[in-house]
Amino acid sequence: MAVTPPTDAELNTMIRARLASLGIDLDQLPAGTTADPVTGSPGRDSVLASLRSFVRGSVTALASFQMPAPAGSDPAHAAALSQQPAPLLYPSISTEWRR
Amino acid sequence: MTAVNRRVFLARTAAITAAAAAGAAALPAAASAWSGRTPKFGDGAYVKPRPEAISDPTELTVAEAAWMIRYGKLKPADIVEAYLARIGRFDGVYRAFNTVLADEARAAAKAAGRKRQTTPLHGIPLAIKDNYWTAGVRTTANSFLFQDFVPPYDATPVAKLRASGAIVLGKTQMGPLATTRATTPDGRVTTVNAWTPGNPATDPGGSSTGTATSVAGRMAASGTGTQTGGSITAPSNAQNLTGLKPTMGRVSLAGIIPLSYTRDHPGPLARDAKDAAIMLTAMAGEDPADPRTQGLPPLPDLIEAATPVVAKGRCRVRRRTRVGVLPGYASTATRQTFLSTLDGITDVSLVDVAFPDQWDLLTGNDFNNVRLPERSEPFLPYLRTDLRGFGVSVTGWLQGALMGGTEFITGQRAKLLLLERVLDQIFEKCDVVVQTSPVPFDILGLPEIGFPIGFTTTGVPVGTILGGAPTRRTASWPS
Repeated sequence: MAVTPPTDAELNTMIRARLASLGIDLDQLPAGTTADPVTGSPGRDSVLASLRSFVRGSVTALASFQMPAPAGSDPAHAAALSQQPAPLLYPSISTEWRR
Repeated sequence: MTAVNRRVFLARTAAITAAAAAGAAALPAAASAWSGRTPKFGDGAYVKPRPEAISDPTELTVAEAAWMIRYGKLKPADIVEAYLARIGRFDGVYRAFNTVLADEARAAAKAAGRKRQTTPLHGIPLAIKDNYWTAGVRTTANSFLFQDFVPPYDATPVAKLRASGAIVLGKTQMGPLATTRATTPDGRVTTVNAWTPGNPATDPGGSSTGTATSVAGRMAASGTGTQTGGSITAPSNAQNLTGLKPTMGRVSLAGIIPLSYTRDHPGPLARDAKDAAIMLTAMAGEDPADPRTQGLPPLPDLIEAATPVVAKGRCRVRRRTRVGVLPGYASTATRQTFLSTLDGITDVSLVDVAFPDQWDLLTGNDFNNVRLPERSEPFLPYLRTDLRGFGVSVTGWLQGALMGGTEFITGQRAKLLLLERVLDQIFEKCDVVVQTSPVPFDILGLPEIGFPIGFTTTGVPVGTILGGAPTRRTASWPS
């Protein structure tokens, strides 16, 4: 069953809650869409709009990406996907380990 | 155990004292500062100057200045004074530096004049991007967050350059926290392209803007930059320079203010390939403070690789080289001319290569954004207490804090998938590949070199980028 996409209000709640769980309070930023005259940091409404777009775009795109099933396995079975190559933070350096 | 060089030890001790006085004593132990052997440079690092460059030391490349010093025709103090004079005359417009270390540079030049030259960087004044820690000298990364930060020791690449005899002339203006072209932290343009000083609208390239402008404007002999998303190759291309972004791990990141730790690459911006080779040779190498530098193959002889080979009056490559051309690369007349010139070099062949499978997706903005949690995590204390201190750049740091671990891991798996496709579908067909954007190779940590290929009709430099497989240098490339 398809998941209903979140509304702006739901995303705002989620974003604020997620940031708060990390100890980050968006209310440090100026209210509205006007940038801080001293530091140039954007207003919190502008930031929230950008963050909603980020969640709907990049977070969703990454979450929906399906790695190719390992060679010889049946991609219809999720079990095969548990045997994907291990993630590597430094793929270029890792080529030296894999020669 | 590595022996501690006495000069480095004394310098470090003095720096710690200065830093403690500035309130920076709670920083990581100074014992993590690099103290090792300096590399060896061959005779190819010393080049007899072009006649037109002899009368003005700021016209000399590093290799030419090294030749002049070697043969007693120039002293480090003369070189430093010449550069300081140019800075005094022009930097009010160029705004390449945010700190000029005139007294320190003069003292270092005087000291260098009393010592025997052992490397081509002996007595050579350099510009250092302001995200490299410099002992006892304010290091801001052009951010409100670091505006009063005085590091207790040098970043490893700076320590290595100094150990090779180089002189730190100043710290250069950069994009706030290495994000954009150089502006103030609140987003007002500062540094201009040295080729169009009267027109701030001309892109000078970012974020190593100040280094590029200082070197192109002959206010430093060479300089350092960092690249996370094109920030060495872009300003090099914009200002007629040669920039080297090495393979991840070639140069230590210890002591450099991070942007994205899997993609930050220190490297040189230089007048030409020979100078870039000299700089990278000095900067590269294993560092106990950065495990990413360990276990890589030895650095090839970059000086030799950057020395032109001429046979029967024609420049040639050292070995047969297949240059991959990606779709859409030849979209401008300048690029077409460049490819035609390449095609005319003996033992160079052009090979059309297709983009690997899912190229647009795996190198596109959404997958590139998997880097953002790397920004946020080391900056959490600042995000909790000083969001406005991030200035115009704050949104990227908050985006990173929003990404969940599941998506982050998927993104890391996708990087390996992308690398395997680049190796299998590009580098099976060619040795080096022209780049349509630096970002894919930044994602993967693969080496790139940016260099000039012409000018626009209005006289603005045009450059291009070549990329290679891991740890592979452009060893067959003519200068």
